[in-house]
Amino acid sequence: MRVTVEVVGEETRNVDVAADATYADLARAVGYSPHEVSVMVDGSPVPEDQPVDAGRVRVLRLIKGGSSGATLGPPS
Amino acid sequence: MKCDKCGHDAVMHAGYSGAHLCDEHFRASVEKRVRRRIRSDGLVPRDATTEDPNRWVIGLSGGKDSVVLAQILDDTFDRDPRIDVIALTIHEGIEGYRDESVDACVELASDLDIHHELVSYEEEFGVRMDDVVDEDPEGMAPCAYCGVFRRDLLETYAEKLDADLLLTGHNLDDEAQTALMNVLNGDVEQMAKHFDASLGPLGERADQAAFVPRAKPLRDIPEKEVALYAHLRDLPAHITECPHASEAFRGEIQELLLKLEADHPGTRHSIVSGYEEVASMAADRYRGESTPDLRECAECGSQTTREVCRKCRLLESIRAM
Repeated sequence: MRVTVEVVGEETRNVDVAADATYADLARAVGYSPHEVSVMVDGSPVPEDQPVDAGRVRVLRLIKGGSSGATLGPPS
Repeated sequence: MKCDKCGHDAVMHAGYSGAHLCDEHFRASVEKRVRRRIRSDGLVPRDATTEDPNRWVIGLSGGKDSVVLAQILDDTFDRDPRIDVIALTIHEGIEGYRDESVDACVELASDLDIHHELVSYEEEFGVRMDDVVDEDPEGMAPCAYCGVFRRDLLETYAEKLDADLLLTGHNLDDEAQTALMNVLNGDVEQMAKHFDASLGPLGERADQAAFVPRAKPLRDIPEKEVALYAHLRDLPAHITECPHASEAFRGEIQELLLKLEADHPGTRHSIVSGYEEVASMAADRYRGESTPDLRECAECGSQTTREVCRKCRLLESIRAM
């Protein structure tokens, strides 16, 4: 099955996946863990364990917050 | 896939619990977990009253985490006269990045009608992160400087604003990464400090009279769920990555955790819950033993274990360039 995957802010690719592939498989096919992206179909997020039933999806990457990173430890 | 609770279309699947939830039930689930954490950490003191409210300062960066935290805290406490919520935003001097996220902060604070304090490295310290990165006098990653400066301003302003609590938007992924980094560094004393500084329930921490206590009410929520929540509520979260972000070790740990979570759902939750228990025991063990005396920094007066604090030493080497 061929699906058009738009990774928002990056490129749009056509990806071939197995007939029983899930949206998690689709995320992995474009190089992302399902835990670092949201897959959207017609503007709505879909569960990543759901079988793919759309010809076109958008993949939104997770952006690091800004409050994270620096470990708020005790004074030095 | 349908929602487990109502049969509407599910918008997410939580691999660690097996749940499928729709928009409405997913949002309710996030809010429930945040409120449960606020209760279990004992953040609302029994003696807070309408006449003498508790003042909470949120570190609001404009990223999804702090924006979601501010929104849920406002939903929860807006009508509770015992809690007074204020937002504090720090501008690091990063061209084209922080300017936009500051706009997101201003918009949210205005939507929520909460007091908003904006401070900058430039006004406070006379430095901008863009310049620090170019000069790099200590040969360190940008985040190493930025973290020291940010922590100093969060602490200084929490104090100035007369805060009872300083809240940050650290999520489950952030906490699992920090936990694993401390484990892999073999740094048990750091775990003890972590517990007393921000991790333990307020009533179980050693008294840190010199500092405003910190709390992280989003720390049970996976990063992806925080992002999904912000998206579904259409919150004004800023969506660009910091151009200087470069924490090599944390990045490796993040990759490792993503792999582990894929193969063993629930790994992040179990790392954090086990870590909290160990950190609590470590805090007991180290208490009263190796706490170095705090004194006032000879340059700026903030609390430090040295004659001059880390922030002032870094500023000195930047100015010497």
